[in-house]
Amino acid sequence: MVKKRGLPHLLRLLFVFLCMNIIWYMAYLLMNHPILPSPGAVYEAMFHLGARDVALNVGYSLLRIFEGVLLALLIGLLIGLLMGRSQLWNRLLDPVVYLTYPIPKIALLPVVMLFFGLGEISKVLMIMLILLFQVIISVRDGVKAIPESTYDVLTSIGASTGQKFWNVTLPGALSVILSTIRISLGTAISVLFFTEIYGTEHGMGFFIMDAWLRLDYPEMYAGIMLFSLVGFVLFLLVDVLDYKFMKWRR
Amino acid sequence: MSSLRNSGLRIRGLQVEYTSGQPALGQVSLTLPEHGIYTIIGPSGSGKSTLLRAVAGLLPSYEGELLFNGKSVHDKETLIGLVPQNYGLLPWKTVRDNIRVAMRITSPDRESKRVMEAEISHWLKSMGIAELAGRYPLSLSGGQQQRVAIARAFAIRPTILLLDEPFSALDAITREALQQIFLDNWLAHPATTLFVTHDVEEAILLGQKVIVMPSAKQDTPEILDNTPVFAMKHEEKRDSNEFFEQSKRIRKVMLAKW
Repeated sequence: MVKKRGLPHLLRLLFVFLCMNIIWYMAYLLMNHPILPSPGAVYEAMFHLGARDVALNVGYSLLRIFEGVLLALLIGLLIGLLMGRSQLWNRLLDPVVYLTYPIPKIALLPVVMLFFGLGEISKVLMIMLILLFQVIISVRDGVKAIPESTYDVLTSIGASTGQKFWNVTLPGALSVILSTIRISLGTAISVLFFTEIYGTEHGMGFFIMDAWLRLDYPEMYAGIMLFSLVGFVLFLLVDVLDYKFMKWRR
Repeated sequence: MSSLRNSGLRIRGLQVEYTSGQPALGQVSLTLPEHGIYTIIGPSGSGKSTLLRAVAGLLPSYEGELLFNGKSVHDKETLIGLVPQNYGLLPWKTVRDNIRVAMRITSPDRESKRVMEAEISHWLKSMGIAELAGRYPLSLSGGQQQRVAIARAFAIRPTILLLDEPFSALDAITREALQQIFLDNWLAHPATTLFVTHDVEEAILLGQKVIVMPSAKQDTPEILDNTPVFAMKHEEKRDSNEFFEQSKRIRKVMLAKW
């Protein structure tokens, strides 16, 4: 997808980015207030951020996202695959998922903090908790959507359950898994911001809130821009994975 | 003597029921010698595909016995090559990978990767699709996908080959070309073959024997010998008197069994 879209896609993205900056600049001129600095001031603040400082904050945030997403994917994939392939497990676990899915997970933040403290574990667990149910449901539905006849030839030649899993179930559900990761990443970044407000001195959430408390608005916006850039790069990464593994759909 | 009696595919009292309890296949008993092509024809709902699915091991339960050379058809020694109506290709694997997966599953102890790749190339070439090796199934036409499915079925060197209306969705010209390619490959590797079709002409063109399935579940299938037509050159079959005579005979039996 990335390569095929190529230059025109990149140019469109740059054009949209430029338009957004123009709108931002016009809003800055209209408001004429320190709470909205000009794009130039923000880019200047970004430029003056220490490379070590940026790397540390971005690195911490990325690590938390990575751990949370990975945990949610591992557990969610396992449960989703189990529910998708076995009627018994689906019947057992479906009511659990059905009852717990609507609970606003962010409301569990104080509970998670009480049980796991203010450190890294509660931050990663919050991301995992919020993503887990999306992953379970999409993987289960993705696996169920694979026509039963897709397994027929492998069954007739005596393939084992493991061989059917690697050759049919996993690649068949991969498209849904990648879509889920894409959606989950957006959610994970939002949740990360909340979790980095407390109990840490590193991470993009902390960086933005710290600048806000110091009334350093250009640096606050610079943090928001960096945070968005991290999200954008992660989205690109999913695009690359999609390009690599979903060639067969094109 | 006893080994001769046991040789081939023996279906004894095979009965299949839908979950509702309705019969999907009445009691079927057939004795089919090894290395033959047996075309199965009959009206919709007569259980042609159910019979094939039972032999392929795709049914959760059935009554009766399915034996090949005296052992269960689901014994590890019996290799079953299946060509389903929808081709059964894995869309996320290339043509070569589709064949490779089947070969790896059926012979995990294959001597070397190089030998396996050479075999895959041989089968792709013999089906006339060597240039499609790196393509994905969704980018192929129905005829091309069917060639891949047949190449995969032959590549595992099956003892039993099952084909479920493999050419039904193809146009007449492609169908005729594929019938010829199928026969050429089968003659080189004559597995015991059950070939389900709804086309009387195809049943006569390809089968050594034609099995006519009855529409009534309590009735028994009738086996008609088709050796005179089968023995002819494929391109001469269609215009021969034997073909017309056989066609009339089968239609008569089918009408009687309707």
